Amino acid sequence: MAPRRSTMFLGTLAALLLGLAGMLLHARAEEQVARQALARNAARVRQLRLTDLCLCTEASYTRHPTLTDFATPFQDAPMSWEHFPTGAVIQPPPHLVTRHGTHD
Amino acid sequence: MISIHNISKVFNAGRPNEVTAVGGVSLDVRMEQTTILKGPSGSGKTTLLGLIGCMARPSAGRIFLKQREITSLPERFLTDIRRTTFGFIFQQCNLIKGITALENVMLPAYPTGEKFSTLRGRAQATLAMLGVEKRAEAKIEWLSGGEAQRVAVARALINNPAVIIADEPTAHLDTKLSLEFIGIMRELKSRGTTIIIASHDPIICESWLAEQVVELRDGRIVAGATMS
Amino acid sequence: MAHMIERHRHIIDFTLATLLRRKGKNGGLLLVYTLIIFVLASVLFFTEAIRREAMLVLQESPEIIVQRTQAGRYQTVPMSWCAGIGSINGVGSAQPRLWGYHYDRTRLANYTFMVPAQDPPGAGHVDLGGAVARMLGAATGDTVAFQGHDGAPRAFTVRKVLEQESQLLTADLVLISEQDYRLFSGVPADQATDLVLQVRNPREYATIVEKITRMHHDARPILRSEILRTYDAVFSWRSGLMLVIFSAATLAFLIFAWDKATGLSAEERAEIGILKAVGWDTSDILLLKFWEGTAISLTAFLAGTILAYLHVFHTSASLFAPVLKGWSTLYPSFRLPPLLDFQQVVTLFILTVVPYTITTIVPSWRAATIDPDAVMR
Repeated sequence: MAPRRSTMFLGTLAALLLGLAGMLLHARAEEQVARQALARNAARVRQLRLTDLCLCTEASYTRHPTLTDFATPFQDAPMSWEHFPTGAVIQPPPHLVTRHGTHD
Repeated sequence: MISIHNISKVFNAGRPNEVTAVGGVSLDVRMEQTTILKGPSGSGKTTLLGLIGCMARPSAGRIFLKQREITSLPERFLTDIRRTTFGFIFQQCNLIKGITALENVMLPAYPTGEKFSTLRGRAQATLAMLGVEKRAEAKIEWLSGGEAQRVAVARALINNPAVIIADEPTAHLDTKLSLEFIGIMRELKSRGTTIIIASHDPIICESWLAEQVVELRDGRIVAGATMS
Repeated sequence: MAHMIERHRHIIDFTLATLLRRKGKNGGLLLVYTLIIFVLASVLFFTEAIRREAMLVLQESPEIIVQRTQAGRYQTVPMSWCAGIGSINGVGSAQPRLWGYHYDRTRLANYTFMVPAQDPPGAGHVDLGGAVARMLGAATGDTVAFQGHDGAPRAFTVRKVLEQESQLLTADLVLISEQDYRLFSGVPADQATDLVLQVRNPREYATIVEKITRMHHDARPILRSEILRTYDAVFSWRSGLMLVIFSAATLAFLIFAWDKATGLSAEERAEIGILKAVGWDTSDILLLKFWEGTAISLTAFLAGTILAYLHVFHTSASLFAPVLKGWSTLYPSFRLPPLLDFQQVVTLFILTVVPYTITTIVPSWRAATIDPDAVMR
């Protein structure tokens, strides 16, 4: 006799819940390891006097969003169409936008 | 005994399409006996069955089940009574498509939370009693008319009801299947089940099955009612 | 208790049987739903991990950077600014920073050249970021060539390749000595890219910034707090990607909800009638619908979330790589630390599972309260 559907369903659900719990535990365990790596990276930041994460390399204003000037992002006008795809992903820095106006 | 005291049922009350389906019916249904409600279509048979079976509330009047007034009970209790006391056989089989005959039979017992294996065993036994155990795993749409009717009867029996209520059970059956159905009812009756059938099928009405035949017309009893 | 569980299990049995009647439709629904949650959770996990990493790591970034702007664009800063700005009260030191971009025409890649303050490579040597080394196929001791500002190729020996774990910071870096960089980029000896200030007391930031701008009207100071705020907001919901993803998800969800809210067909209604007639209570019907919604939405939520976790933290969000890559060819291959925000998982749950389940239950509410004798009529 085939197992009941509810058995299979609840089994699947239990397995998925275990997966979720495992995921959270894994995250917690990894966090300890990650903290050390992050500390080393922080030391790197201090040593190289870095200001930005290297997320995108295609345009200066997405490579170094914090240091970008008033004109370069948005291709010389705050409301103009974006040329670089990453410009649509990376939000312009608040200090730039608030000093420049409220075109966000 | 089920005692019905002067009940009526009015649909769409107060609106232009107001219909009095049952108007002031009083009737005693004795336990372990068979009662047949007969009458032309539109005479209020189905509505009366619904009222007796706690499927709907009367607009007026009272119903006593074993000396207990049930008309004013809250819905939860009514459902409980309906589930434990009555088994229903409908004009259309009203089986749920896409699931197996066995599952259809087990359906009324699901809310009781009965143990799966016990319930399944009883459903199989009931199907076997009605001679359709081989079709237990078949989907409803694969069954013949007669098989579907038997599955519907099995479903009505699954909670071991004291009373079977059947509404025009032979309307969609040919003579042979109708006679088979009467045979099943006779069998149930011999086990002490109370049976209430609404029908205007002569095969049923003349089957010597019933101790009591009540004739309805326009929502009123015109012949045959016995009152205690 | 046992009865309660068995009742739930019976109803789940029945729910699944009815769902399986339309395998294609409900399977598709589950798949699309899982996909939506997968995308949403991936975005949440990814952006949160980036944000948290940025917050922790960029704590150590310079306290104040001073740029110079000319005609609205930033320009190199005269070295002579150092003395003036360095003498402002509260400024510990003002040091020049020398860095810039380099576009590699043959590989169509942008590199960031930088002169490190501590431990710079010797003349004729460079340190390469992980992605640069990968792109050039270079290892320690190899010789690499870049075309200088004057068009002449310049060869450097690779001193070392920067460690893999810092890729999120250093992937595109080429560390070079000051002398080599001035020759390579043509930045004159009396100019720097920007200035880095050390400040003893954070409460003096505002005064110092004010003094700098009064001293040099074309100066543009950037505070560390602004850097951190940039990364706090870098993937905010208003950025284009988020808007596209969230509106797509919302639309898809609305389609589901619409289908559910209007989808109580005559057949389903008749079935509810039958169930009521054979002895099911209103609460049983609602329980049935609850499990119908939960079976789909909870499974999709759990599967989608777990898949998203694997995607973001084990495959390094490989599906998002093209988005961050844009037109560029250089992409950091970083592994994100699984910095999860438990609250986000809970929010995702509340925003997806709960509304779906409710949109499954609510339309059946009225059908569930009909008189059971409706089925006889």
